[in-house]
Amino acid sequence: MVKCMLEANQLRVVYGSNIVLKDVNLVVNGEKVVLVGPNGSGKSTLFRAILGLAPVASGSIKVFDKSLSNMKNVIEVSTNIAEVYRIANLKVADIVNIYCELKGIGNAQSFQMMKEFELEDTLGRKLYELSTGQQKMVCNILAMNQKAKLLLLDEPFDNVDQSRRRRFIELLKQSNAELLMSTHEFELLRLLPDWKLCFMLEGKLWGKFEVSQLERLYISRGRADNAMAVMETSMGVFSVTLDKGDVLVKTATNLSSLLEAVAE
Amino acid sequence: MIFKYLLKSIIRNRSLWGWGVVFMFFWLLLGVFVFSTSVPKQAVAALSYASSYYGTITLFSFSTIAISISYTLYYGSSALAYCFRYTKLTPSGYFLSLLGAASVMATIMSAIMLSATYALFSWKFGVNLYPYQPLASLALSAISGAFMMVLAMALVLVVINYAGVKNITFVGFIPLVMSYIFGFGQLYTTIPEYIEYASPFTAISSLLYASYGGFAIPKVFINPSAGTLNPSILLLSLIAWLLVLAVLDTQLLRRIRPRAIEEARQV
Repeated sequence: MVKCMLEANQLRVVYGSNIVLKDVNLVVNGEKVVLVGPNGSGKSTLFRAILGLAPVASGSIKVFDKSLSNMKNVIEVSTNIAEVYRIANLKVADIVNIYCELKGIGNAQSFQMMKEFELEDTLGRKLYELSTGQQKMVCNILAMNQKAKLLLLDEPFDNVDQSRRRRFIELLKQSNAELLMSTHEFELLRLLPDWKLCFMLEGKLWGKFEVSQLERLYISRGRADNAMAVMETSMGVFSVTLDKGDVLVKTATNLSSLLEAVAE
Repeated sequence: MIFKYLLKSIIRNRSLWGWGVVFMFFWLLLGVFVFSTSVPKQAVAALSYASSYYGTITLFSFSTIAISISYTLYYGSSALAYCFRYTKLTPSGYFLSLLGAASVMATIMSAIMLSATYALFSWKFGVNLYPYQPLASLALSAISGAFMMVLAMALVLVVINYAGVKNITFVGFIPLVMSYIFGFGQLYTTIPEYIEYASPFTAISSLLYASYGGFAIPKVFINPSAGTLNPSILLLSLIAWLLVLAVLDTQLLRRIRPRAIEEARQV
């Protein structure tokens, strides 16, 4: 029996002299979690570290209770990060077939999804020949397989048109897999009311909050007595509070504009 | 599991066909029309000349497979690191699939070189220069393709795992450079005997020479009187290199470190 789907403990990722993740702690267990943060806040690096693609300087990652260093052939984890689908220089149809085989699943569901998302014309082309939005959607579909128990979706809506966004959100809502998703767009959160929410800024993570509390979450400058979390950033110290504060979180379009509004 | 896809990818690689086959035809044509003027008009001399060309040009041709393998690994380092953790793919499964794909591709390229050498040189000299053991040539080609793959993998994975990928272009071309050095070296100059036996590159060209012509293998292709090499030792040397590098590769593959392709930018 798996105790915890995903656990990051005091995770630190360093590129040269740049500390990208600063002692991040995160647990995903029996839930869907969305990470919100501006570009460069470390969201993608966190995903890459969990997938074994980023150098972990200290701390630990466990997936299904197993340490990342001992992880082998765990087919229940999927991602939409494009670089993991560059195993060979082949057309999209072949890439779908390869990854279905490597995950031990049939390819019918993936090809059906390609059809539903009107991506059939991409099957005869290579990933690098697709538009950014098409490439993102193909990778989203590759991630969504029926054996996945933990989905790691990095900015799945970037450059994706509204119609496909809506349909993909519905798919995510219906998915039985546990999910960690990143986005820098606040508007999307309203569509995911039963998800958990974490804020990520300058390599640090705060949360988890409830997305359903979004209507009541405020951010204030300084340390508030009733703070649910205190965010120490290069722009100053901010508190996340419930029901009262300086700026209502839901009024912002993204986290950095929210903090700038509070700081003014 | 992944063999058929890697084979499809390698067979559809246009650069490989361009540099490994079309460009080698250029060398063959030079051999037929330019460098053949000093070859005596005797069947034995013509067969020896054609054999030396087949051995050397096919060696060059195989080295282009090594370049393709290098870039496949470099661009796929993140995919492999992910697949070994989060799919059914194992390092040994991937290794064997790539080994098989490289061997099949080498056999195809060798068959083309063998046919072209036979047709062009027979036409030029007006005698039937049919290869002595064409099936042995193809079997040797499969082993040679496997060697080029394990060599390329070892070089690239050492760079990917333990050094920056800034030098990836240089490292990717090492098998080609070595093939040209040893190929031309054996064609025109006397290389110390122990180097000829120890070098897998001279082993490949020598064994292909012997399989085409059926002659004893000369130390210098253009000077058959300079002494001969033992084909059994050459074959053992090539297989030993293959096995040692294969063991090294599987170890390196288990520790593959994902690299961002942008890291290889030179400017």
